[in-house]
Amino acid sequence: MRTSKAPRTRLLRRTFAALGLALLVTATGSSCDTDRTGPDGEGAKIVPGVLRVLASSELTDMEPVLDTATRTTGIQVRPTYVGTLDAVEQIASGRADKEYDAVWLSSNDYLRLDPDTARRITAETPIMTSPVALGVRPATVARLGWDPAKVTWSQLHRAVADGRLSYGMTDPKRSNSGFSALVSVASGLSGAQSALTGSDVRRATPKLKEFFTGQKLTSGSSGWLAAAYGRRDDVDALVNYESVLLSSFPSGELTVIRPTDGVVTADYPLSVLTSARPEAKDAARRLTEYLRSPEVQERITGATLRRPVVPGVRPASALARDLRRELPFPGSRAVADGLLDAYDNTLRRPSRTVYVLDTSGSMSGERLERLKTALAELTGDFRDREEVTLMPFGSAVKKAEVRTHTVDPASPQKTLDAIRSDAGKLSASGGTAIYSSVQEAYRFLGRAPGDTFTSIVLMTDGENTDGDPATAFDAFYRSLPAEQKRTPVFPILFGDSDRGELDHIAGLTGGQLFDATKGSLDGAFEEIRGYQ
Amino acid sequence: MGFREHAARVRRILGIVLAVLLLGGVAAVLVTGGDKDTGTATKTVRGVIGSEKAEFFADPQVVKALAAKGFTVGTETSGSWDMEELPLEGYDFAFPSSKGPADQLRAKAQKQGADTATTAPLRPFYSPLVVVAHSAAARVLAGNGLATLGPRGTSGTLKMDAYLAAARADRTWQQLKGSAGHAELSGTLFITSTDPLASNSGALYLAAASYVADGGRVANDKAAVTRTAPLLRKLVQVQGSQQSGSDAPFRDFVSGVGNPLVLVYESQVAAQLLAGRPMGDLVVLYPDTTVNSDHTLVPITPNGRALGELLSTDPELRKLVVRHGFRPQGAANEFTTATDRHAAYLNQTLTGVRQAPVPTGKVLREMASRARDQGDTA
Repeated sequence: MRTSKAPRTRLLRRTFAALGLALLVTATGSSCDTDRTGPDGEGAKIVPGVLRVLASSELTDMEPVLDTATRTTGIQVRPTYVGTLDAVEQIASGRADKEYDAVWLSSNDYLRLDPDTARRITAETPIMTSPVALGVRPATVARLGWDPAKVTWSQLHRAVADGRLSYGMTDPKRSNSGFSALVSVASGLSGAQSALTGSDVRRATPKLKEFFTGQKLTSGSSGWLAAAYGRRDDVDALVNYESVLLSSFPSGELTVIRPTDGVVTADYPLSVLTSARPEAKDAARRLTEYLRSPEVQERITGATLRRPVVPGVRPASALARDLRRELPFPGSRAVADGLLDAYDNTLRRPSRTVYVLDTSGSMSGERLERLKTALAELTGDFRDREEVTLMPFGSAVKKAEVRTHTVDPASPQKTLDAIRSDAGKLSASGGTAIYSSVQEAYRFLGRAPGDTFTSIVLMTDGENTDGDPATAFDAFYRSLPAEQKRTPVFPILFGDSDRGELDHIAGLTGGQLFDATKGSLDGAFEEIRGYQ
Repeated sequence: MGFREHAARVRRILGIVLAVLLLGGVAAVLVTGGDKDTGTATKTVRGVIGSEKAEFFADPQVVKALAAKGFTVGTETSGSWDMEELPLEGYDFAFPSSKGPADQLRAKAQKQGADTATTAPLRPFYSPLVVVAHSAAARVLAGNGLATLGPRGTSGTLKMDAYLAAARADRTWQQLKGSAGHAELSGTLFITSTDPLASNSGALYLAAASYVADGGRVANDKAAVTRTAPLLRKLVQVQGSQQSGSDAPFRDFVSGVGNPLVLVYESQVAAQLLAGRPMGDLVVLYPDTTVNSDHTLVPITPNGRALGELLSTDPELRKLVVRHGFRPQGAANEFTTATDRHAAYLNQTLTGVRQAPVPTGKVLREMASRARDQGDTA
């Protein structure tokens, strides 16, 4: 087993501003900016009265409340949305100190496990709470004969093991809802009576493995997860914050289940960076006071379906009032990281990914070098049991250079070295056959369907010049069996590639576009890891 | 018992003496500095405070009362023990929740050039540690001999001996009679406290527990710490990740999430009661042996000192201190009068509540770090 790593954080900065609820409600499309290198010029600038906040992506739903806050208090919040656990590295590395005044994440639990990181924030003030729960299709609840108020983690496990329940969940390394769910189910299935320990996790491993066979969807963000869920009729449930489940599916499309043997709850502490200017700290304090006033708390619970933290303010009527045991969050980094490591390398279904890589003539020189460097860096991210295929193409797929490796848990390093070595041998020649090559990737994956998360990453630096046109690809995709249609394509905008072409592929296949023209190629590859 | 009563009396007398001295000091400031500070001239002071005092300093009436005395106060919050990590430059005062961190902050301030007389600590008010519970949890504790409840069932006494025995035995809620049918009452029975290395209330919880566990002795050396270390470790490790300030666990509790038993300052509850907020099914349990949090202001500059003196002596500010749930040092009647309508929740005179003395900062730190230490649990 490799040594555990802190969840990596490549940042999805304003990325998720567009996602979050916006995506669910207005279906704005599938594009996604990878704007991660250097300050964006706007976020870093200090403007009097403006509070620069690094915020969890699902907090987009607080914008109307924050607009009113500006009118009342004069404090303008400039949020930059990120995946919760991704924010931790920005804070830990000190980069957040340069660009932000405050941090508003769903939870500081993970952050707090590292004393050096914990010291970088202060004045942690919870604003509202929401437990991580399961939203299950009412038909499934009926089929399983469940009383939604009385379901345990063991029952959920049993239903999955019997093949009667499947679900989508975010990647625990990138998103707090996924991590909270992982802690909850590990506690529930190990029978731990207090904070999780490494031996609890080991004891529960067989059951956890069974439970995660039911995870049919993974995602780097809760916004994309809900959208992907909407495309699927074979997934019975979603794991997410109670507030997101209720807001995203307001007509009772999902029945919210908070398992009776315990939940992990996010309490959204608005916190200031220890390094922030005194005026910014004052502004943050005044903002929290405003957000904690009974009238605003009432508005928050009504609008966002999170629970108020002020006595006398009643939770919105959609929220069940019966109490749940709060499962303790692990008290040490070793336990938390051990759990994440086990999830990646042992518990979850493995991934099968085809990297369709443009190595046409236009890639020669600096672009090809950047691709090689990015792939070499990405290699460190592959999980045990994962199948990785490099499929370079020019005027057609370069069949002689297609290589497939499966990361061997017994000696992962050997496989990773081999992938790195193959990436190093790529050479640039020929035209750009985007659509034909992606079809090739689908055919490759279809040959040996298995119990895996399958996806295709498409990296190209130009427009389609060879092989099939877009229309032929569309027809091909539509002719695929339902099972294969579920494999999404994640295109990366790079060099002179055509945003319209790539957006279309992402939209058609249920993937998402990542933009490496503003950020870096390795950043885009890394972000996509959350979806694989 | 005699020792404690004596200590309390001495403290009360000292408090009065101090108050008189301070009154003189403030009068002197007013007389000598009066000419310079006329009209709109105000002193702007900045300080770092424990999170439980944030609402006090933010209260518009407090702001007004301070302004009337020529002060504009800017604050930011931090765990009491974490304050030491902050750079003290630019602050006029630090206001942790007890003596231990205050002593260390004072030493640090002096090292940075502040003078001895300026930094002499002031203790304008205090608040005992209590445990809040939802009524179902309180009733189960009472039904199993771990607590007694008052006639209204909204306040009571937590029996520390019985509670520590349950903790030693890893007792779970399921093992207690009457817990069936309450989903939240399962898992190991424990009180949620804050991180004792970061925050005062968490450290004081350990001080009270070690005092009870060691037969009413205050830990004063390594051997004493060693005697109770396994139990204290248990009390902390069971909780997993801990918050760094007392506000957050209280808010989680209010929100209906979190552990059924949460250690908070009495002031946090009293402030809500005095603000007229409905408290739902909240029950306040006073541990039969508890620790008072002596909110201790460490002046770093003369202006910081003047603020501390004002808080201790100004009648209007003392009234506001009470409104935020704190007990001002000295005469008790200000608190009891103000909270008369809330006697069902509050043990106004702290009847039947013993005060455990607090070990020195150094011993307390040792206790906390041994309790938090992850050791072999992974």
